[in-house]
Parts: sequence; structure tokens; C-alpha cells
Amino acid sequence: MEILLPFLAASLVGAGVFMVLSRALIRVIIGLSLISYGINIAILLAGAGTGLAAPPLLDVEGPYVDPLPQALILTAIVIGFGTTALLLVLSLRAYQATGTDHVQELTKKPDPVEVLGSYADPERPSISPEYGPAEKRVKDNKQS
Amino acid sequence: MNLLSLPILLPLFSGAVLLLLPKRALRTLMALIAAILTLLVDLSILRTVLRGEVMVLQMSNWPAPWGISLVADGLTGIMLALSGLIALLTVMFASSSLAHEPRRGQSKTLNQLRERFGFQALLQFLIMGVNMSFLTGDLFNLFVAFEVMLISSYGLLLIGNELPQLREGFKYVVVNLLASAVFVVAAGMMYGLVGTLNMADISVKIAEYSSSHGADARLSLLAMMLALVFATKAAVFPLGFWLPSAYPVPVAAASAFFAALLTKVGVYSLIRTFTLLFPQEQLIHTILLVLAAFSMLVGAFGMISQSRWRHTLAFANISSIGYLLMGVFTTGSAGMTGALYYLIHTVLVIFCLFLIAALGEKIAGLKYTVEGHLNSYPWLGIAYFASALALAGIPPSSGFIAKYSLISASLRAGGTVNNWVAAAAVITGLLLLYATVEIWRGFFWGESHAVHKVVLPRGMTTTTVFSLALVISLAVFSGPIYKLAQRTAEQLMTNEAYTKAVLVEVKTPRIGDPALPTDELEEDTH
Repeated sequence: MEILLPFLAASLVGAGVFMVLSRALIRVIIGLSLISYGINIAILLAGAGTGLAAPPLLDVEGPYVDPLPQALILTAIVIGFGTTALLLVLSLRAYQATGTDHVQELTKKPDPVEVLGSYADPERPSISPEYGPAEKRVKDNKQS
Repeated sequence: MNLLSLPILLPLFSGAVLLLLPKRALRTLMALIAAILTLLVDLSILRTVLRGEVMVLQMSNWPAPWGISLVADGLTGIMLALSGLIALLTVMFASSSLAHEPRRGQSKTLNQLRERFGFQALLQFLIMGVNMSFLTGDLFNLFVAFEVMLISSYGLLLIGNELPQLREGFKYVVVNLLASAVFVVAAGMMYGLVGTLNMADISVKIAEYSSSHGADARLSLLAMMLALVFATKAAVFPLGFWLPSAYPVPVAAASAFFAALLTKVGVYSLIRTFTLLFPQEQLIHTILLVLAAFSMLVGAFGMISQSRWRHTLAFANISSIGYLLMGVFTTGSAGMTGALYYLIHTVLVIFCLFLIAALGEKIAGLKYTVEGHLNSYPWLGIAYFASALALAGIPPSSGFIAKYSLISASLRAGGTVNNWVAAAAVITGLLLLYATVEIWRGFFWGESHAVHKVVLPRGMTTTTVFSLALVISLAVFSGPIYKLAQRTAEQLMTNEAYTKAVLVEVKTPRIGDPALPTDELEEDTH
């Protein structure tokens, strides 16, 4: 059965890469989860060659699977869980803010800050709040 | 030697306490105290390692290949001291902007509303991750340290909840998750191949193996994977596409910290990987050297193409990464000396420029195209002038010393690749000068149209002046600092001191030995 595991890992990573390359945020997240599953299986396989004669610290007859790669996988799973949750919230917030979860449309949306002109525009410096109201500027210019 | 755990434990503890403190004043005080204490610990570690000692702490007293070891040599000492300095200045800068911006504002500095979402605590956790990746002597623990650092940086990037932050934050998280996936599979394969994750142990075993067997494609593959991961974190040219849009979006203090330190953690890991683990992979060294030249040029051209403060400086960061890698992958200790001096220089200069950019954004918005601010803000002009000279590498500044030693080391090493890289470094210097003059012309020069003067908070200007003083002192004390870089570079050229200090009196373990404790103590890092 072990011979099937590399193929499983490869197909999971392949499917994950396919999903990551798509344009919808939620599919990217699912793709990332698939990749991390595939990689966990790959680590499990990396530990397959390094069996121990007996479990550490115990007086039991072996053969015994090396527990270290499983500890690595556990850590990777915990970290992956946290970041996937963060990504889901992030994509939900992005959807609420823009009404789309399509990557390209998301990048096309102008930044609201820029539309309101809240920072100095070289063409119209008067609308910058930090430069004072427009009327005052015009008056100043006339005086000088 | 328990001192070595303090740069990790102090930020962890204070970050946890910061989450509980109800009052803003208390949080500010706590963050300042934590930053000062961490800096003191970092400096005392630096003082010890400068004597040429390698400090080692075996966690829970497990002997080296089985437990996690914390190791500090010269490079770690320098990086820790830099991170302590930058952390303290960041906390000062962030705290001083709070009094000035009480409510939700459109400005990109930290205000009180944003601070309530745990800015100070996240910053402490970020410092913890950064210090841990400098200290750890274990490959998988390095992965965990990276994740601690990255998860805190996701939080800091998103504080403010604006659309650009959401958009760039998503990209940043996805890119880093993919890089982490490659990292964790590389760590797993390293364990499967070499049978250990302790970096000193890996170094000894790989050196033994390649001296008896010659080159091995599997080891080259592992080196490639690690290079890919760390080059992505360090934003080396084709892999650094995420940086220029991600670093300008967080609040000013956070992006200054990111630019000064986070990419340098990637460079630090590259130095460790290719001096300690894979010193024999010459082909990858050459590939990274060529990419370094491209990073320099792309960074400089990117600077010219931008017209917003922090977008321009983010590209300056990429170009500085190019210079660093040029020194690291030039053969011999002369290149490494230049790289280490440049490392100290670029962390301080980029940080100082980001603080100046924050003040510039406060005055006239995100772009620097409104001219004539030199009259109203002469000190800001002077600060920008001095640090821009240092960035471009004009003679009296520390940048000139750094770039001179990098380029001369590259030319002395000889060879076609090295000569071309040196040529790219010289051209990049000129382009950087042009780009910095462009900011000067756009923002400081010319006739003023401003109606009223923006009052800059005293704390923010003081912090900026203080970091400027650090930049200038780097040029003034360049003699001793250059000697320090030289000694550290020579220490990096031979791994013997490092591996001997970590692997004290331990026989090389044989796989399949009965009753050997193989517990890696990963549990306490979950």
C-alpha cells in the first residue's frame, strides 16, 4: 500500500496548484489546503525509511516507526489551520468590501482613499485636507 | 547560558501581558520596557559573542542532535542587536504617533483606534519570531520561528482594515503560505535523507558525505528548495514581486519594521544555509549571485518608476537585498565582510528613510510630488539628505564604505560573472542617486504652496533624529564596525567553531540504535 502514498501526495499537490491558479479567492484557499495535505503525506513518507529498532525511552521490542516526522506534521497542521482560518476571514472581508471575490476585479477596484482624494493630488492640491480648504488657498494665491 | 532564551521569552511574555492590559498608557509603558529589556539582553549577547565565543543553549538539557539548540555566533549577535535597536525605535515611533492622532483618520500612521486591535502585542510577537529565527540551531524550529514571525506580520499588515490592505494582505499570506509549504517539505526530506534536523549535525554529516561521495543530486535539490524559500522571504528579484505592493500598505511604524528587518531574516537564513549546510553547492551560489545583480537593477528601476513615498522605498529595499546577496555569494571572506557591513548599514538606513517617509506622508499625503517643503521643514530635509546620501553610497556616508568593499571584493574575486555583477552594482549606485534626487526635487525643492504648516509630533521627529544619528555614527565609527564585520565573516567561513560548540561530546548517532531518545521537543512550540 505504501507505493500508493507518493501518488496520493502528488495528486493532492497537483490539484492544489490547479486550484491556486484559479481566479476566485475561495478556490485559492481550498487549493492551499490541498497542497498542505499533500505535503503532510510527503513528510510522512520521508520518515518511512528511518525506522527505529525500539521506541525511545521505553523497554519494548521494536520495529518502531520514527515518531519525529509525525511531530513535524502535527506542527504543520496546527499552523496550517490557523492561517487557513485567517485567509477565510480575509476573503470574506474582501468580499464584503468590494462585492466580488474575483482576483482581477478586486485589483481593478480603485482604493477608496484615493477616490476621495484624501491625500495630496499634484493636479489639485487644494482637496487635500491637510492643505486646508480650497477657498482659503485661492484667497492666499490672490493676495500674493 | 540561559541568557540565550531571553530574546525569545521576553517578547513572548510581554506580548501576552499586553493583550490583557486595559489602558493604553499602560500598554505603551509595558511595550517600551519590554523593548528596552530585550535590547539590553541582545547587547549583552553581542558583547559575549564578539570575543569569538559561540554561545549554545540546549533546551531542557537534551544533548545536541536530539534536543533543540539555541546558538549565537557573531552573525546572530549582530542580527539580534539590530533587531533590538529597530524594535525599540519602532515602539517609540508608534507610541508617539498615538497622542497626535486620537481618532480614526485617513493618515497612515498608527492612531488610537488601530492601536486597540493589539498593535503592540503583535509587534512583540513579531520580535519574538524574528529573534527566534536568528537564534535557533534547528531547521524545523526555524520553520516554526518563520511562522510565528509571519502570522504576527499578517496581523500587523491588516491593522486598519482598508481595501488595499485586504487585497495586498491576501497576496502576502498566499505567497508566504506557498513558500512555507516548500520549506516544511524540504525539512521533512532533509530528515529523511540526513536523519537529523540540527543544523550543526546536518553540516557535519553533509560535509562527511560529500567528501567521500562527491556531489549528490538529492542534496542539490534540497539546497535549491531552501534557496527558493529564503529567496522568496528575502524578496530576491523574480520571487520578490509581492514586496513592493505589500510593504507600503500597513501603518507607518509597522512597514518601517518590516522593511528594516523581515527581508533581512530571509538573507540571514540564506547566509546560514549556504555557509553552514551547503558550502559546496557552487552552482546555486552562482545562480543567486546573478539574481542578486538583477535584484539591484530591478529595485533601482522600480524606484524611478514610482511616485509614492513608501512604494519607492520598498523598491530601494529590493535593491539593497541585491547588494547583500552579491557580497554573500562572492567567494572568500572579503565579500562576506562587505555584506555584513552593508547589512548593518542598510537596516538602519532603510528604517530611517521609512520614518522620514511617514513624516512626509503626514505633511503632504502619500505622494512626494507636491514641492517646496524645505523651507517649512528644514530638519526633515537635512535628515532626508543625509540618509539618501547613505542609500546611494556617496563618499562621506557609510553607504560608500559598504559599496566600495562589496565592489572591490567582487572585482578581486575575478571571473566573468563577478565582473558583470560588479558593473551592475556600480550602475545601480548611479540609478539610486537619480531616484533619491527625484524625491528631493519632488518634495523638498521648489517654491512652497502650502497654506499652513503641519505640526509634526515631537516623539516622531525625535525618533527619526535618533535613527539618523545611528546612520551617521555608522560612518563615523566605520573603523571598529568594519573590523567587527571582518571578524564575523572569518568566523562564518569555517564552520568548525559552530559545530564543535553545538555538538559537545556526542558520538554521531547511528540510525537504528536502540533506545535513543529522538524526541525533538516540537511540542512546546505548537
